[in-house]
Amino acid sequence: MNNPTTPAAIELRQVTKTYRDATALDNVSLRLEGNRIYGLLGRNGAGKTTLMSVLTGQGFQTSGEALVFGQHPYENDGVLSRICFIRESQRYPEDFSAQRAFKSASLFFKHWDQAFADQLVEEFQLPLKRRIKKLSRGQLSAVGVIIGLASRAEITFFDEPYLGLDAVARQIFYDRLVEDFAAHPRTIILSSHLIDEVANLLEHVVLIDRGRIILDDDAEAIRGTAVTVAGNASAVQSFAAGREVLHRESLGSLASWTVEGRMTNAERAEAAELGLELAPVSLQQLVVRKTMAATDAVLDTDSELEVLK
Amino acid sequence: MNRVVNVARMQLINKWTFLGIPAIIMVSAFLITLAIWAMIPASGETFYSGASQAVMWYFMALGIQSLTLTFPFSQAMSVSRRTFYIGTVGLFATVALAISVLYYLLGLVEVATNGWGFNGQLYALDWIATEHAVVQILFYFIAMVALFMIGFWFATIYKRWQATGMLVTWIAIAVVLIGLLGLTSWQGWWPVVGQWFVAQTPLSVSGWVALFCAVLAGGSYLTLRRATP
Repeated sequence: MNNPTTPAAIELRQVTKTYRDATALDNVSLRLEGNRIYGLLGRNGAGKTTLMSVLTGQGFQTSGEALVFGQHPYENDGVLSRICFIRESQRYPEDFSAQRAFKSASLFFKHWDQAFADQLVEEFQLPLKRRIKKLSRGQLSAVGVIIGLASRAEITFFDEPYLGLDAVARQIFYDRLVEDFAAHPRTIILSSHLIDEVANLLEHVVLIDRGRIILDDDAEAIRGTAVTVAGNASAVQSFAAGREVLHRESLGSLASWTVEGRMTNAERAEAAELGLELAPVSLQQLVVRKTMAATDAVLDTDSELEVLK
Repeated sequence: MNRVVNVARMQLINKWTFLGIPAIIMVSAFLITLAIWAMIPASGETFYSGASQAVMWYFMALGIQSLTLTFPFSQAMSVSRRTFYIGTVGLFATVALAISVLYYLLGLVEVATNGWGFNGQLYALDWIATEHAVVQILFYFIAMVALFMIGFWFATIYKRWQATGMLVTWIAIAVVLIGLLGLTSWQGWWPVVGQWFVAQTPLSVSGWVALFCAVLAGGSYLTLRRATP
């Protein structure tokens, strides 16, 4: 798998994308191996869609290099034909119904599985013949999800695919994704806000904030990297001394801090002795804390600069 | 190559856009013209009609549509801009060629039936009907391609630079035209220009328009190269 002569499925080298008044990607370098499920997490406007656009040749980086299977994707039909990226705001020809969209997809994606698409249409209760512009937001998302799944492209990007989908439909999507991934391993990149919902699917997490990658690690490894310490405020403070604190919360004399780092058995014993409670942090909590800590850091630097002026 | 053909097939998934609507426009324009001729009392003079142009203008709209609506979708189908361009323009050229041949054939019928029995001129216009068959077909073909490419390029400019792009383009066109008119008047070139226009034949017009098409086609492609869906 990790043969150094095989190019990574995806590689970004110092990619920067600036719009007139904003930096969407800020010197991003990233390397993702194939045949895994990745979560691309981050707030609105963090740069997730821009990142996927650059990787699929739909958008352009200002500088840096984007490689897919070791090649530049831009205007490269050989590489593009192995990728599927349906945007969250995907536009369809005026007169297209879902059926026509699927017909098109069957022309371009060589692994397209019509039986699978039919099954998904049934499960999402998608009206096939209605014009796409008359579909509800959830049904529109379902069209994109079905194209993404049934195309079985070697790299498939799902850009917040669940918008407007009800809880049942979302569960169907997650279930089918995992089943189909098991039967046909490929690279899936799932951009999402609903971190708790997708946490169990993800093998690897890439967290992006203000155009910068602030976390890039295996989901398993991340889960253990922080812990919530709760108890008497002074005890929490002394226990957390010397550690990176991601979040502080207090209520009267009680405090609950999220601290980074793995706990050794000795540390667990120490916490128990101090009467502190240690609780695991969910992926969503961790992502929120990490993002907020990064924001604070940026704000701190900004205010320091203000002071220096 | 296969993907280019698939782009054409994608554009044809809805048969109406490229085939059905042009057919309806051509048939109805023909029937309406005949109805009008039938209502006007015959005076022995020839009736002229420009109704055969109707479908050509639809091609301008088609140029706009095939870009604004189908280009973003083609990107989602993982089609490169180049493949999308060749497939779309290629399909269009094929349809335009078929209609041009049809116009030529209808022109023959028109002459044979004494102008559809009304002494009318709809397809076999005096100016062009005496030319060689190839010239007639070429003339119609180039005219349709020019209109399609105009629609296509303008839509591409809008796609890339939105309203600002349109504004700048139109102002630039206006400035160039006014400049040319001013230059001609100032230099007293109008008689020469007039002679030049009178001297044009269907073949030479086709040649000039073909040159114009080549510029449009190149411009459209270069504009599309950096367009985002």
